[in-house]
Amino acid sequence: MPKIIIDGQTVECRSGIPVLQAALEAGLAVPHYCYHPGLSVVASCRLCLMEMKMRDPKTGQMDWAPKLFPSCQTPVRDGLEVRFCSDPVRDNQQHVMEYYLLNHPLDCPVCDKAGECYLQDYTEASGPATSRMVEDKTKNPKKDIGPHTLLYQDRCVLCSRCVRFCDEITGSGELAVVGRGSRCEIDVLPGQPLQNPLQGNVVDLCPVGALLDKDFLFKQRVWLLRSARSVSPADSRGQTIWIDYNEAGIHRIRPRYNEKVNEWWITDEARFGWKHVHRRDRLRQPRIRQGTALQPARWEELPALLRTWFSQPSPTVPNPIAAILSPMLTCEEAWLLAKFARSLAPQATLVLGHVPTVGQDQTYPKGFTIKAEKCPNRRGVETILQHLGGPTASFQEFLGQAVEGRFRAAYVTGGYPNAWVMDPIATALAKIPFLVVHDLFPSALDAVAAVQIPGSAWAEREGTFMNCDGLLQPFERALPPLEGVKADGQFFSELLGQPGLFRARTVRETMAAELPQFSEVFIPRDLPKHAH
Amino acid sequence: MSWRTIDRRTVPLDDLDPGLSAAVKEKIRSFFPRYPTRRAVLLPALHIAQDALGYISLRAMREIAELLEIPPSAVLDVVAFYTHFWTHPRGRKTIVLCRSLTCELMGGGRVREALEQRLGIGEHETTPDGQWSYMTEECLAACEHAPCLLIDEKLHKAVQVEDLDRILVDAENDRLDLPRSTLFDAPQET
Repeated sequence: MPKIIIDGQTVECRSGIPVLQAALEAGLAVPHYCYHPGLSVVASCRLCLMEMKMRDPKTGQMDWAPKLFPSCQTPVRDGLEVRFCSDPVRDNQQHVMEYYLLNHPLDCPVCDKAGECYLQDYTEASGPATSRMVEDKTKNPKKDIGPHTLLYQDRCVLCSRCVRFCDEITGSGELAVVGRGSRCEIDVLPGQPLQNPLQGNVVDLCPVGALLDKDFLFKQRVWLLRSARSVSPADSRGQTIWIDYNEAGIHRIRPRYNEKVNEWWITDEARFGWKHVHRRDRLRQPRIRQGTALQPARWEELPALLRTWFSQPSPTVPNPIAAILSPMLTCEEAWLLAKFARSLAPQATLVLGHVPTVGQDQTYPKGFTIKAEKCPNRRGVETILQHLGGPTASFQEFLGQAVEGRFRAAYVTGGYPNAWVMDPIATALAKIPFLVVHDLFPSALDAVAAVQIPGSAWAEREGTFMNCDGLLQPFERALPPLEGVKADGQFFSELLGQPGLFRARTVRETMAAELPQFSEVFIPRDLPKHAH
Repeated sequence: MSWRTIDRRTVPLDDLDPGLSAAVKEKIRSFFPRYPTRRAVLLPALHIAQDALGYISLRAMREIAELLEIPPSAVLDVVAFYTHFWTHPRGRKTIVLCRSLTCELMGGGRVREALEQRLGIGEHETTPDGQWSYMTEECLAACEHAPCLLIDEKLHKAVQVEDLDRILVDAENDRLDLPRSTLFDAPQET
């Protein structure tokens, strides 16, 4: 590992990275716009310039070179000595910041980026407080460049990150730098909008408020948001995300850096796939069938009722009980539910629930993959089923057996963001006399369920998902469950008769005693504080 | 939304056309063997398209992108970089005036004012009779003949306000003294 000297401090850094990255990883606040570790280096913003020691050709001595060098374009090498805390570097930062503010409108009060804008931050840190510009600022109209994105051209600092993202990561190249010199703009070819399954990332990449998400436009000031570390349920890859929320609910989802899975990016499915959490028609209270109708019930009644039904042996059928573990459940919840079923009926059939898939896996030029499997935890549920052994069935086999009337009682978990109860599923499940449906939304099963239990969305729960590659990733709860709803894990632990609050970590530790795969979770490292 | 927003997502059909003819496309294809990559054919392709259409229409940009297998925005990127390429229709002849320092010192500003007044149009506009379009350029690389102007590809040197009438009525004001290189029009087989 090369050692370089930054501002007199020796810093050990990864080899092959630029000095800027090494400085950021060492915790230094070096301003930069165009540099992004996931994209090619263009060294165009000129903010990260540094002083570097070189051999003076006249004296042969190592001395500070008279000109500044872009730290994003200078690879680290052993013994390299650079400095950022010097007058020439600070002067450069001030002048560059003044230049960036020449035409930048001072519309922070109405700009969505305010509060997390690097033009604000760097101006506060190193820019001049007033502008010497007396001429009118260039004013450009806003451009509607895609279904999700709006471009405020006059706020743009032309770092070209968005253009490079579309060229290098998605390979679709919708964006271009149009014009020349001071007339440069970001644009699309008219009629060919920014429209690819990863396009939301350009909004995160934008260091200023030029590219904005229409979904989040004027919704919240960012300083009123809190962030929870979560894992997206959108596909089986387990993209790590930040859920930005407050007491009014979720407001947006941003990528959370993950060196093993999604790096700096997330798919639009993950970014916009939270709307179901706030759907009006979410189930809000448990109901029990009395006569032909489902009648509201109290949560306290449920454990005893379920235990009675699931523990009655059947004289004719060998294993008449089934628990359907949805791949939307966390590992901990699946474990608890499976344990519950097996504790009452040791021969209960455990079934991996419906696995939704859409199309084929899509892989992008630099390897980013969107999985066809649109559920987060198939692998986790499978691991648990494999470990527990005993009678198991695939969802199709289960439906086949259910149609034949093999099951007397079944616990069906859903939790899918989209409608999943298609006709064959509803017909088969209708044959089960005592059907417990634990789901988020009303469905065709309402007509046949004996007990309906409202579920909670992933943002209202905590636990771990095991992604398609077997990586176990924990996530936090962002929101409390809806009023009148119990978090799935809490209810399952009450079913098992466990006292106290459900804590995913505690359950995971119990699981790890039997299943070593669950002893270690993967938590991606945080990005350096001043990197963006 | 109350502010002005330009819609870049949809484009009216009228703004797209005209497209490139089969012959023009074939001519662009004939340049492929001369360059290491298809992308490198972009500049010749744009010249060919502008020679054929008078400007680079949106449909032409799309068709060139398809021919060269590059994103359409990459074509726009280059078209917008060079002022030589027009993105809207031009008149029969185009006057390009220098706005740089030498020409300005030698009276180019007066020529510009006189020309604008005479034609009654501003930059990048076309006279109602479709005869003239006019634009300024940073430098025409002929400072020794300042102030100068181009009519299509013909350079007019040391132009004064009095000369404008003579130049504009001359039917051959765009006739080139030198023929264009045959290399451009008839690419050689490799």
